[in-house]
Amino acid sequence: MPAGHRQERREASEVVFDGVGVTYPNGHRGLSGISLSIPAGQMVGIVGLSGAGKSTLIRTINGLVPATEGTLTVGGRDVTRARGSELRAVRAQVGMVFQGFNLAGRTTVLNNVLMGRLYSTPWWRTLLAAWKADDVEAAMAALERVEIVQKAYTRASELSGGQQQRVGIARALAQRPSVILADEPVASLDPPTSHVVMEHLRRINGELGVTVVTNLHFLDLAKEYSDRLLGLRAGSLVFDGRGEEADEAVFESIYGRSLKADDVLDAVPDLGER
Amino acid sequence: MSQVAAGPGRTARPTRPRRGAGTWVTGVVLVAITVWAGIGVQVDIPAIWRNMGNASGTIVKLTQPDYSFFPQTLKPLGQTLLMAVIATALGSALSLPLAFLASRTTTGTRWVVGVVRLLNNLVRAVPDLLYAAVFVAVIGTGALSGIAALFLFNLGILVKLVSEAIDGLDTGAQEAALAAGGTKFAANRTAMLPAVAPSYAAQVLYTFELNIRASTVIGLVGAGGLGVLIDNVRTFYHYHYLALIILEILVLVLIVETASSALRKRLAR
Amino acid sequence: MTAVTQLPPSAPDTAARPRRPSRLLIRAGWVLLVLAVVLAFWGVDADWSSLRQFFPQLGHYLGLMFLPPDLSSAPEALSATLLSVQMAWIGSLIGTVISFPLSFLASSTVAPVWVRLPLRFVFALLRAVPEVVIAILILSVTGLTAWTGALALGIGSIGTLGKWGYEAFEAADPGPLEAVRASGGSLLAVIRWGVWPQSAPEVLAFWLYRFEISVRASAILGLIGAGGIGKMLADNTQFRVWDAVGMLLIVVVVVTMIIDQISATLRGRIINGRWGWVGFGRRRRALTPRGAR
Repeated sequence: MPAGHRQERREASEVVFDGVGVTYPNGHRGLSGISLSIPAGQMVGIVGLSGAGKSTLIRTINGLVPATEGTLTVGGRDVTRARGSELRAVRAQVGMVFQGFNLAGRTTVLNNVLMGRLYSTPWWRTLLAAWKADDVEAAMAALERVEIVQKAYTRASELSGGQQQRVGIARALAQRPSVILADEPVASLDPPTSHVVMEHLRRINGELGVTVVTNLHFLDLAKEYSDRLLGLRAGSLVFDGRGEEADEAVFESIYGRSLKADDVLDAVPDLGER
Repeated sequence: MSQVAAGPGRTARPTRPRRGAGTWVTGVVLVAITVWAGIGVQVDIPAIWRNMGNASGTIVKLTQPDYSFFPQTLKPLGQTLLMAVIATALGSALSLPLAFLASRTTTGTRWVVGVVRLLNNLVRAVPDLLYAAVFVAVIGTGALSGIAALFLFNLGILVKLVSEAIDGLDTGAQEAALAAGGTKFAANRTAMLPAVAPSYAAQVLYTFELNIRASTVIGLVGAGGLGVLIDNVRTFYHYHYLALIILEILVLVLIVETASSALRKRLAR
Repeated sequence: MTAVTQLPPSAPDTAARPRRPSRLLIRAGWVLLVLAVVLAFWGVDADWSSLRQFFPQLGHYLGLMFLPPDLSSAPEALSATLLSVQMAWIGSLIGTVISFPLSFLASSTVAPVWVRLPLRFVFALLRAVPEVVIAILILSVTGLTAWTGALALGIGSIGTLGKWGYEAFEAADPGPLEAVRASGGSLLAVIRWGVWPQSAPEVLAFWLYRFEISVRASAILGLIGAGGIGKMLADNTQFRVWDAVGMLLIVVVVVTMIIDQISATLRGRIINGRWGWVGFGRRRRALTPRGAR
């Protein structure tokens, strides 16, 4: 391990789904009968068509979407029945990276990353923006880890897409989380930048031992950057195994059709004869 | 929809849809209201002609302000300006938290939003001079009544405008703050406040403009400022003095408006 | 074979952490602002000593007004308010009728500079002078009646309506205008078929909005004698009939709020093309013109 990085291996958490289901108020069934267990420190990729329930699954883990059936625990704490400060305590352990980056564009990168320390900051400090020195240190360290600390005082909206997503990752890191969720983190990024971002996530998983759960649209990316692949279709789990096991047949069961170039990030374009 | 029989090789033309009953009803209602209002007000168009003669005389006098009156207008002018500044400062301070409470984007509890909005609509429904008249009757003439009246006046406006601005904001960063374990208050303070800040500043400047205009006239009912002077002077038909006062109001308002729009343009980057 | 961008090996970030940028300018700005406000407090000729009695006194009078309000004066208050509303309606009608052609003439898409500028100047003038002052001027000539009050409201609103008008017309997409011109349309045709269809919803919406404002303005005109609710208020406060004042305020507020709500719903229908409860929309489009009250 190179010197200079504080190696804080986290108290990583196990995520356990037990018969979890989600029915939306309009009657639509987002998830049904999800039972699985993600051991601490694993890097999981979730794939499936749009609307298959990937986003729903990810959002049940930190309670952004409430599960209507079953039980979900993160590090032993029950998310499904948590409310108010209990729920916030769980969320403080779970960092999230969003498809649209979700940064506050009009303020600095540092202020954005500091939002990760909100759980442990009393209301008056938040009101006056008087962050504790420890928190600023944690934010800076997170920015250093994603290699963007020199932009700490730049306005967030002035960064490129890849840079903004790295700030998003730093914000999640500043929480000192035991789990990081990433909801289509690279959907708005070009292929090279996508790899950079995914590599950061993999490093965080490897070096810090944080459990990482990612939704990905592109199958090759998912295979490359996960220890374990979950395939969702119409709200149900249809595949759970290693990337190598995902062959044509598996693919059909997840996507309902055969592999196309659209499903792969680094596809070589097919310049077939006309 | 019935169709005209088609000629050889053509599709049938649709018949023109009947103009909705809605348009006719609207037209009738509008005319009815106008007639009702006209009768109530006793519209008397020939009266305009009759008074044209008087009017031209007055207009001539208005174009000749009496500048010697100027020194006496300085203090009221100053009071007008100061009242507007104080009222805007106080109003803008209180309206920020209230605006957050009045927007569904930042406040989860529906009934709170409903109550704050209702109360605000109530406060907004009373015109500035009415507040001034009531305050003068209650606590006496002077700038204090004026400030109180203007404060309520601009509170109503600002809370509505700023809460509308908040309604239109993107909630992504707020979601992120909540996902990190923050309270709704913390999420609003760190994610939404920086986003609404430029609109807020622009609306405060705009409200300051409105305050200046309003504070020039609340003196008409005794609440201090130039209005008091106007009231003194108008009962004696001293048009040359009145002309000077109006000129001053014009200059003041135009200066404030220009400065304010320039500042607001800079803020909208 | 895919080319995967490699991250540099995990090395300590040698780029030094950036220094916090100096916020001197912003700090100075705030200090100046606070100073200006403090000076204002100090310089204004207000009887601050009476502030201590302010709230108790206010409470006392509010009690006199509303506990209970004089219900017997409600019919009179209602008819006075309706008179004010009628004044406001006629006034905004006059204002819209006059300002409508004028705002076309003030927009750069329709009129040449030497027509536009004087018109815009007149609009600015009419806007800068508070309505009450315009009313005083007119009323001193024509006398204090509801009709002249309506006239005053109308003339006073020409400035704002004119400005909103030409801003809306200028913001119209030039494409359709070009199309009309290209097919040989006259200026009138360009206005009728190019500019108007695009701006119509917005213009109708702010006519309605201006009516809301005029309702309030007509109450004010009443205060200086033009009839309606303002006059009733002035009379009652002069003779200190507080419970009637309370009833008046309730009536004014209720009627204004009803009109506001109807107007907002209508404006919502006009702008959004469908009926909807305008109260608590999360992302509703702004229904007030830029820079409006």
